Amino acid sequence: MSSQKKRTFQIEAFKHRVVVDPKYAEKTWKVLEHAIHEIYNHNASGLSFEELYSHSPLPLDGVWNTLFRIHQFMPWCKNSEVAWNAYNMVLHKFGEKLYSGLVTTMTSHLKEISQSIESAQGEIFLEELNRKWIDHNKALQMIRDILMYMDRTFIPSSHKTPVHELGLNLWRDVVIHSSKTQARLRDTLLELVLRERNGEVINRGLMRNIIKMLMDLGLSVYQEDFEKHFLSVSANFYCLESQKFIETCDCGDYLKKAERRLNEEIERVSHYLDPRSEIKITNVVEKEMIDSHMHTLVHMENSGLVNMLVDDKYEDLGRMYSLFRRVPTGLTVVKDVMTAFVRDTGKQLVMDPERLRDPVDFVQRLLDLKDKYDKIINMSFTNDKTFQNALNSSFEHFINLNARSPEFISLFVDDKLRRGLKGVGEEDVEIVLDKVMMLFRYLQEKDVFEKYYKQHLAKRLLSGKTISDDAERSLIVKLKTECGYQFTSKLEGMFTDMKTSYDTMQGFYASQSDVGDSPSLVVHVLTTGSWPTQPSPQCNLPSELLGVCEKFRAYYLGTHNGRRLSWQTNMGTADLKATFGKGQKHELNVSTYQMCVLMLFNNADRLTCKEIEQATGIPLLDLKRCLQSLACVKGKNVLRKEPMSKDIAEDDTFFFNDKFTSKFFKVKIGTVVAQRESEPENLETRQRVEEDRKPQIEAAIVRIMKSRRTLDHNNIVAEVTKQLQSRFLPNPVVIKKRIESLIEREFLERDRVDRKLYRYLA
Amino acid sequence: MPRPKRKAAVPTRSSDADSSARPEPKKPRGNQFNRIDQLFESYVNKTLGLIDPEGIEALCNDVNVNHTDVRMLIFAWKMKAEKQGYFSKDEWRRGLKCLGADTRPKLKKAIEGLDKELKVPECFEDFYSYAFQYCLTEEKQRSVDIETICELLNIVLKSEFPNQVNLLVEYLKVQNDYRALNMDQWRSFYRFFKEVDFHDLENYDSSQAWTVIIDNFVEWLKEKEKN
Repeated sequence: MSSQKKRTFQIEAFKHRVVVDPKYAEKTWKVLEHAIHEIYNHNASGLSFEELYSHSPLPLDGVWNTLFRIHQFMPWCKNSEVAWNAYNMVLHKFGEKLYSGLVTTMTSHLKEISQSIESAQGEIFLEELNRKWIDHNKALQMIRDILMYMDRTFIPSSHKTPVHELGLNLWRDVVIHSSKTQARLRDTLLELVLRERNGEVINRGLMRNIIKMLMDLGLSVYQEDFEKHFLSVSANFYCLESQKFIETCDCGDYLKKAERRLNEEIERVSHYLDPRSEIKITNVVEKEMIDSHMHTLVHMENSGLVNMLVDDKYEDLGRMYSLFRRVPTGLTVVKDVMTAFVRDTGKQLVMDPERLRDPVDFVQRLLDLKDKYDKIINMSFTNDKTFQNALNSSFEHFINLNARSPEFISLFVDDKLRRGLKGVGEEDVEIVLDKVMMLFRYLQEKDVFEKYYKQHLAKRLLSGKTISDDAERSLIVKLKTECGYQFTSKLEGMFTDMKTSYDTMQGFYASQSDVGDSPSLVVHVLTTGSWPTQPSPQCNLPSELLGVCEKFRAYYLGTHNGRRLSWQTNMGTADLKATFGKGQKHELNVSTYQMCVLMLFNNADRLTCKEIEQATGIPLLDLKRCLQSLACVKGKNVLRKEPMSKDIAEDDTFFFNDKFTSKFFKVKIGTVVAQRESEPENLETRQRVEEDRKPQIEAAIVRIMKSRRTLDHNNIVAEVTKQLQSRFLPNPVVIKKRIESLIEREFLERDRVDRKLYRYLA
Repeated sequence: MPRPKRKAAVPTRSSDADSSARPEPKKPRGNQFNRIDQLFESYVNKTLGLIDPEGIEALCNDVNVNHTDVRMLIFAWKMKAEKQGYFSKDEWRRGLKCLGADTRPKLKKAIEGLDKELKVPECFEDFYSYAFQYCLTEEKQRSVDIETICELLNIVLKSEFPNQVNLLVEYLKVQNDYRALNMDQWRSFYRFFKEVDFHDLENYDSSQAWTVIIDNFVEWLKEKEKN
């Protein structure tokens, strides 16, 4: 007897004497054999072993306990002879015989069982198998109990398979892997799955039991006998099905079907397969139904991704997202197609010549486009960050394709602040401004935007045409947060000037004792650096004005020493009281230039363009525009023109239009509203921007070189670009030119040996 | 008996000596300087105290070398002459000492052989930069007009890079971006000729810190090749 580490009983407890006799062993074995047979036979008689077990829990230790149990449930066993015999045999080293006898007996029984299963017809096959399996398990349990001592002593020491496991292995080898049963079992199971997939109801409980049996026999049995084939058959099934669907369904329907199948499989696993199969079968479905047809689906004509996007099909898009997410590169495909489409749409939008006529509409469409895709990403793509980023980069790409985007965005803001946001609540104003900021962030040329914004703001402030000071300031704060103090300091300066001017006017009128008949003057004093500079040649103001203008100048220079004032006659407005032919009086709101022109007609009935030019000193181009606005616009034609053409020639003659009528008392003719620039103006602005950039680039280069002392060319370009990127994207050629200029002026030098290296010269 | 100390003859080397000057046992200084000064006097403009263009013309005649010849330029370089068309006494002395010439025949011979002075690359580069500087006539002037640049290129680089010089000169005459060039740009021409193969322009990399005018030149060359 092998030495055992754990002894759970004392040999001394046995009072029986032990006899070592081969014949005894034989006899003993016969008894045991008979017992095993009985167990199997009693299986057939359907004894309820559960009842027998119910009285006491099974203590597992000790042969005595075992004997006790055997007494309880084997009434035909007159005494504990059986177990005692077993014990004996082991004890006397006949364990080998016992064991091999066990194997033989069990095997022969199982062969019988196997045959009975093989001969089962049709539907009965699985049921029979199931039943016999259940019985076998019960029998096995009992046999194990009887032979428990052997299980715990002889078997470990002789490295044999324990009883329970032996029983399972034999079942597997004899019954399951019998040549007739193995394939039949597999095919039957697969057949049932197929029928269920085709809509039939099958016996899930039975399936579950059979599958569990395979699991109990070992994971490799489950996998080799069932799962492997299940997966490959499923792959075929879904391959064919997906092909059929692709040919007959549109994208949305297909996705619905795919989703349904996926859910079905998951549910199938939960009901009667091993949980570990779930991932494998879902992979199969994903591969066959989604992965194989990804591109076909996405690009499907009339129903693919692009159509879904255009038609805002949130549900379909959501389904596509959640399905494609399951396959590698699925979402990348979706994202790429979406990105390309957005870029394309955006590009068409910004390059369309029709759209370029109306800047406000242009920007509104951009905002609408963004809103649309924001909603799609929110509703259907679970706010996926990579999609959000792709959308942003698309916008950044196409907005900058149109060099006039910065100007247009400023015009949009101008329109909103001038009238668009009239009567809109504070919160909603903020929403609009935030959206504008979002577009602003996409701009590469933020300095261009700044230039236009300044111009438009100046016009708004000077004409008093802003709907809300708060809204104006709110936007400036947002710009400051985004771009820093430098960006907005001048803008804030403009606001300050307006306020200061107001105070100055108060002071001026307080100081004038006698106002008399002179026209009332409102002066805005603008600090030159803060306001958009436009060279303004002096035009000749009407004599009626000269007096009060001089008074103001004297007053102002009296209180502010050392300053210089120059009238900006291209930026002012005037209100004129005019009386026409039939005595109808109107108040005309005009620009300063227009005022100069009109006042001439107090002293002359007719004047040619040339004469007006000479008298007023207004630059010809501006004058022509001015005259057009006074004579060629219906409802505002306070002047009459001969000939009546729209173009102004030098010899054209102008008359005061006696017959002018308007249903409004106040008539607005001023042309101070911000408009999109003409081509030549645009070119000029661009040139000014380019000129402004040069010193900024140089300053950046000097800053960098001062701290780094020596640096190579590529790094300088990279650093400069990085430093300036919040304002504009510098052209590397321009940077190079600036470096050369700095070399010439001896701020930097080029290294003698390494041409690419520059050095800062203190 | 103590021996009288003998003064060792120290071969003096002028700080301007270049590779061609070998330390010769010097005659007493006085004589050599005298002869050099005499030569100076023979060409000098008395009122200015400098050799002026007329004097240089005379010199050129004597040595039988045209004043537009590169060797005259090399001569000026040896002298480190500051002002174009004029040689000061110090400059004259420096130059002639460098050449080891103190008589007219020696000077003629020396000047005739001056083009060999440029064989060493470091020397050539120094000379090359000098050539540009020599053209800066006004105070604070930093750039030289295109016409002069073209002439200078022909004088200084044509012998070594005939083909390239022709192309560059052609380009400089047709382009409108620059009317005058600075030292940095001038220097970049020589480096460009040395480092870049005109038959292999595909590998030219404009991010490599060549001057913008070189970038434009390469573009022009590529266009030319296509047609």
